[in-house]
Amino acid sequence: MLKGVTRLVSRVHKAKHEEKHEGQHYNLPLQDMKTIFPHGLPPRYAMQMKTFNEACLMVRKPALELLHYLKNTNFAHPAVRYVLYGEKGTGKTLSLCHIIHFCAKQDWLILHIPDAHLWVKDCRDLLQSSYNKQRFDQPLEASVWLKNFKTTNERFLNQIKIQEKYVWNKRESIEKGSSLGEVVEQGITRVRNATDAVGIVLKELKRQSSLGIFHLLVAVDGVNALWGRTTLKREDKSPIAAEELALIHNLRKMVKNDWNGGAIVMTLSQTGSLFKPRKAYLPQELLGKEGFDALDPFIPILVGNYNPKEFESCIQYYLENSWLQHEKAHTEEGKKELLFLSNGNPGQLERLCAYL
Amino acid sequence: MAAASLPAWRRLQPGARTLRAFSTAASPTTLPGNPRPSTTERTSRFDRPPRRKALPPRTEKMAVDQDWPSVYPVAAPFKPSAVPLPVRMGYPVKMGVPMAKEGNLELLKIPNFLHLTPVAIKKHCEALKDFCTEWPAALDSDEKCEKHFPIEIDTADYVSAGPSIRNPKARVVTLRKTEDWEKNKTEADMEEYIWTNSSSEKNILETLLQIKAAEKNLEVTKEELLGTKEIEDYKKCVVSLKNEGDSENTLSQYKDSVKRLLNLT
Repeated sequence: MLKGVTRLVSRVHKAKHEEKHEGQHYNLPLQDMKTIFPHGLPPRYAMQMKTFNEACLMVRKPALELLHYLKNTNFAHPAVRYVLYGEKGTGKTLSLCHIIHFCAKQDWLILHIPDAHLWVKDCRDLLQSSYNKQRFDQPLEASVWLKNFKTTNERFLNQIKIQEKYVWNKRESIEKGSSLGEVVEQGITRVRNATDAVGIVLKELKRQSSLGIFHLLVAVDGVNALWGRTTLKREDKSPIAAEELALIHNLRKMVKNDWNGGAIVMTLSQTGSLFKPRKAYLPQELLGKEGFDALDPFIPILVGNYNPKEFESCIQYYLENSWLQHEKAHTEEGKKELLFLSNGNPGQLERLCAYL
Repeated sequence: MAAASLPAWRRLQPGARTLRAFSTAASPTTLPGNPRPSTTERTSRFDRPPRRKALPPRTEKMAVDQDWPSVYPVAAPFKPSAVPLPVRMGYPVKMGVPMAKEGNLELLKIPNFLHLTPVAIKKHCEALKDFCTEWPAALDSDEKCEKHFPIEIDTADYVSAGPSIRNPKARVVTLRKTEDWEKNKTEADMEEYIWTNSSSEKNILETLLQIKAAEKNLEVTKEELLGTKEIEDYKKCVVSLKNEGDSENTLSQYKDSVKRLLNLT
């Protein structure tokens, strides 16, 4: 049943992932990975990709459920928010990647923020924003993100035209009607204006997706960073609140559901979060009151540990790729031992198998 | 009594002793005409007054239908000779049984309520009735009580088993009364989550209005939306989520209600 057939190597059938494909791996072409995920993959998965020289994702129930909702989205209604939550290492980020890949294949515009926690900590240079004196810019993070955004959505950038004139400073401005690609270029070359460029991109995309030219998928990993604390401080060592960062402010506006023509998929993550206990994984614990009120109403989707079928499939995948070298790895007791040690947790299992 | 004993001990023979001899100040060795034994010798067994024999315990004299409150009228330590129950307490040695009640320190250490049997309490109540007056006839409904006596204090008593007779939860006392300044309570002060006028209500109404606008269904008003069954359901789920915290149950209910509201399959 499942022991022999664990792969579903076909791009074509990706859109037709259904219940019966649950537990099976499907192959993502490496070329796609470079364009769609210049920055979005978890580091261990990226290493695995390099080792096996291929990218394989397992089809699991939470992703299937989300795909089902996305396929039936009504683009005239306000964007629905979906929140993937679950314990550490259960596969939230990879489920998000699955969704992103699906939407990319369906020709949606992908707005992917790989880890919102990176924007609220360890920032070397904070500039005071020229647009709004109370806020702070983060030129480095913004320019890195713009580069990756350009790689992912190259083909849309020339099609979308901005609908307003934006003035960068006394000498430079950008006219109404020029393409979004120019805004992105400006942000990448002039690092000082990168944060403002990001703000413009988000605003224009939000406005224009309602017109129906394209479908917009907003994918944010670690969305609880938007309403949490930051570790950034001003020169006088007083702490900065999350909303004083321009990037965070604009992103919060993006995940509000006052636009239509797309969907918003988010994951909660404790792993990069600041000042949250290690065992916290439930929405209210990680989002806090402010976050919950801002995201309400949303659809919470639980991502859990592997069920026996998925576990079996994962072990088969590792065996086929000769990843498990231990002689007892393919025996029944070996598998039971692995199941017991990892408790079916995908992240833990991957770490254990790395030693075998 | 002293006058009678004074001539009495003068007439006492050295050999004959009575109980009274202990209570007088003079000791037998100081009687005149008594050859005093030398101090290095111990008093012989016959010179010492005989020891009192242990009396039988009171329990043997107790009738089955006796008046127990007179045995234990007040809170008193456990007296094994006064309690007719064959109680055992203590950790037994190997192959043994718990210790008997005679000389048992464990029974002395714990608090006992032998003075508060139902019979005793009934007697207390009977005695207290003489000091009580009638309930005022004018206060015959709850509203009148609240109007004249607006402050209410709730105390709670707990029955529990544990190493101590005191239960810290019993120290919690609530005071119930609304004052004018309480109307300035803000959302951050609220002890529990109230859905009306909350941001959740605003969000959901906005969303639904937008949906309706998209479907060209502009006649629906806010009040109508609030009255629908889905919104009631959603309200209950949000309130339970906020008040009780997250759990599989509450989250799945919330998910279902949102799905129904937004018409997702």
